[in-house]
Amino acid sequence: MSPKTENRILATPIVLFLLVMLGFPAVLDILYSFSEVSFENLRSPTLNGGKNFIKVVNDPEFWAASWFSLKFGVATALSECILGLVLAVYLAPIIRKNNWMIAVLIMPMIIAPAMMGLMYRLVLHEFVGSLPHYLYLWLGDSPAFLSRENVFLTVFTIETLQWTPFAFLLIYMAYEAIPSEMREAASVDGTRPWRMFWFIEVPQMAPTLAVAFFIRFIDGFRVFDNIFVLTGAGAGGSTTSLSIYIYLSFFRSGDIGKALAASVILFCVAFVILFFAGRLLRRDRA
Amino acid sequence: MKNKYKDLPRWIVFAIAAFVMNFPVISTLSTALKTNAEISRDPGLWVHAPTLNNFAVVLQVTERLNIFSYLHNSLVASLIGSILPILVCFPMAYAVARRGYGTDVIFPTVVNLRAMPLIIFAIPLYMMYQTVGLLDTRLGLGLILAVVNLPLALLLLINAINDVPYELDEAARMDGARIFTILVKVVFPICLPTLATVFIFSFITAWNEFLFGLMLTTSEAVPMTVGASFFFSSGGGGGQWGVAAAVIIVASLPPVVLGVLMYKHISRSMTAGAVKG
Repeated sequence: MSPKTENRILATPIVLFLLVMLGFPAVLDILYSFSEVSFENLRSPTLNGGKNFIKVVNDPEFWAASWFSLKFGVATALSECILGLVLAVYLAPIIRKNNWMIAVLIMPMIIAPAMMGLMYRLVLHEFVGSLPHYLYLWLGDSPAFLSRENVFLTVFTIETLQWTPFAFLLIYMAYEAIPSEMREAASVDGTRPWRMFWFIEVPQMAPTLAVAFFIRFIDGFRVFDNIFVLTGAGAGGSTTSLSIYIYLSFFRSGDIGKALAASVILFCVAFVILFFAGRLLRRDRA
Repeated sequence: MKNKYKDLPRWIVFAIAAFVMNFPVISTLSTALKTNAEISRDPGLWVHAPTLNNFAVVLQVTERLNIFSYLHNSLVASLIGSILPILVCFPMAYAVARRGYGTDVIFPTVVNLRAMPLIIFAIPLYMMYQTVGLLDTRLGLGLILAVVNLPLALLLLINAINDVPYELDEAARMDGARIFTILVKVVFPICLPTLATVFIFSFITAWNEFLFGLMLTTSEAVPMTVGASFFFSSGGGGGQWGVAAAVIIVASLPPVVLGVLMYKHISRSMTAGAVKG
């Protein structure tokens, strides 16, 4: 058997699997997004040109959802990376001696985001929640966490508290991987701790910080689980992320064409971003 | 004396961070251990009269809640979703690691899946599953969970195979072993520790998945995460806050147990996945 044939055979399982599970759906996605389709004529859609796309682009809720996702992704990624960086660097001296601390700190991210959302429904509940209870006890008042004005801050905080551990973990690993000679050389030269942090440690960790931010942004942008169980599209639709928008168009409104057109747009945007991010990364390494 | 306490501020910061980030877990656990009367009288964290009654209720099979069925569905789907990626990724990882094959298309495609909003595939999959009869089945759910786990599985397996000394392959090849024999008899055993990590990590991810469970199952194959949210929103409240809390705890337990046992490996593979991706 020639190496070329061998390679093809080695690649066959994953290629077949991808073609069936993603290739076929992708074709369906594109085909149906250009069609008039509902739950009634699911198997015999009629082409209607770009009508679905026009509908999506003219839907203010689509733009509201896009804006929410973008805002949510950037805000949570930023706060998670900053908090993660602070925790990693400040706690590193004691974590080094007590590895179990990592297990305690990364516990939140092992729990399903959907379960985390449900837990917060309990925790924030007006009558049986522990947080409002203590706020009433100590401050005499408790905000309506899921009201229209507060809900963004609430879901932002929830996402940040659950996923700061992720940023913390990546950054801690990178921090510990900085060669000790580097620090020693700097301290022999009399570099102060703050200067050491900004001019030596942060640049050394820059690639990791970028990766952590990127991953957290992606996950924040496509957020679904925790917001969905916490608010549904609730609070007047003010927490509808793009994923929730597509879900609702599909299941609640039964407007499959619109949902698919929106997901094709989302796919294209994601593809372009990934393409350029990939090129940037490769250029960095070269 | 001074030295002894110099780490104290760090310990305080750690305690605060750990408490705040794990607060919902602590609070839910406390609610689950309370009687209904105590929950409405004092929603604070302290449990005055701990009871396991809520958990006993959870374990009873009723019309509204059959937790064993949810757990069973999650278990089967998560097993499919964590074993299948290893099977399809292992040969590919070998081709990538040893021959640089597939680095231009297949590898980037798989790795970039990690960053794709999954909802894009959920709707066409729904239609496809409906046609082929995979809708609301554990197999159907497991298959898509496997797709979710492909990127990390491929990355970690490539790393693992890169660490296997090339001389081992060569020696086997000299002895006339064919590629598949080398793969199964030489490379596979050495990679077992990584395979275990991939398996556990994928299992946790699959167990915690919610969106596909919500969209692709309706009654027969509903996984634990979705089942818990059904119970909660179908007035699982209705005064039964303790039971609702207990359901959430049971649903979260398997990944937490695995995670605590495996946290060292998890952190290592998480970094590998992130840095290479």
